[in-house]
Amino acid sequence: MRFTKAFLPITLCILLLSLAAPAQKRYGRAAKTPKPVTAVSPIDTEGLKGLLTQQRERPLLVNFWATFCDPCRDEFPDLVKIDKDYRPHSLDFVTVSLDDMTDIKTTVPQFLDQMKATMPAYLLNASDPEPAINLVDKRWQGDLPATFLYNEKGEVVYKHIGRVNTAELREAIEKVVSKKGE
Amino acid sequence: MKTRNLSILLASLFVIAGAVFAAGARAAGEVPAPPAIGSTIDDFTLPDVDNKDRTLKSLAGKNGTVLIFIAVQCPVSNAYNERMAKLAEDYQAKGIAVIGINSNAAEDASAVKAHAAEHKLAFPILKDPGNKIADRLGASVTPEAYFIDPNNKLLYHGRIDNARNPAQLETSDLRNALDAALAGKTIEKTEAKAFGCSIKRA
Repeated sequence: MRFTKAFLPITLCILLLSLAAPAQKRYGRAAKTPKPVTAVSPIDTEGLKGLLTQQRERPLLVNFWATFCDPCRDEFPDLVKIDKDYRPHSLDFVTVSLDDMTDIKTTVPQFLDQMKATMPAYLLNASDPEPAINLVDKRWQGDLPATFLYNEKGEVVYKHIGRVNTAELREAIEKVVSKKGE
Repeated sequence: MKTRNLSILLASLFVIAGAVFAAGARAAGEVPAPPAIGSTIDDFTLPDVDNKDRTLKSLAGKNGTVLIFIAVQCPVSNAYNERMAKLAEDYQAKGIAVIGINSNAAEDASAVKAHAAEHKLAFPILKDPGNKIADRLGASVTPEAYFIDPNNKLLYHGRIDNARNPAQLETSDLRNALDAALAGKTIEKTEAKAFGCSIKRA
């Protein structure tokens, strides 16, 4: 009887857990494959050149990243916060993914959705990424993530290869934003 | 005695500060500069996937050696699996050896071995604990290739070719370098930026 008393709650727990597990799995699967809402635009090397060199009214922050790059994924929430803090009033911000073109409607927008990222998103459409990498910075080897901040004249005022130091990036943004109009 | 203890304490603090600084520099994504084309790569010893020590010298080809930093989980490196296997097969017959190096801290020897078997990578693959060789060669990403001649002189450094997607292949930079060296010609392009996943350093 003592055995039955102890056995019953354990059996119930196992039963409940076994029912809950597939449910969780189902929700997990459903949550992983929602249809992406973020639009990612392809950009070729010429397009990137135009984007980086055009005359602009506000400083521009560009983040090069890829879904397969762990430090890129890691820093993304910080970048989303920076975007929300600055883009509404003083900064342009775009992201350029170096994922494969086949990922433009799947993994890239899915990740951006998950991050709740709303900045304009591009994906480099170039069979050879080297000209684009050299266009951005001849000393950059193409390792990701890479973040560049341009002033209104199109000059690089801050760059960082690797996961950004958020405080340092914010400081650089504050500096370039406060210089606007000087 | 007190002075001696103070000296030891100060020395320890310097060591700790140095270690913290070095870790900080690495965290910021800084990779040591790669050796210049034409410089000599010193021999090194690394364990293979069965934990047997191998030297570069013992694995080198009589007409040169290709070192490729590769990964188990990187989709870019994995997109090159077939091309790397074919490269090793094609050039082994011409006296050029291909050696893979895995410097990713999170990918252990057993994972590297299983991955090589799964993708039919028949060339030797070495583990690089503490990414010492990746640091010495200034390797940033996977895949990233180095071609050295029989005297260990660096002749080419960079990507395997222009395209992750083989359907978009336009320039086989590494093969061009190997063919030129085998033909005794000047290598036209000695460096081409490698694109891939950052090496996950320790």
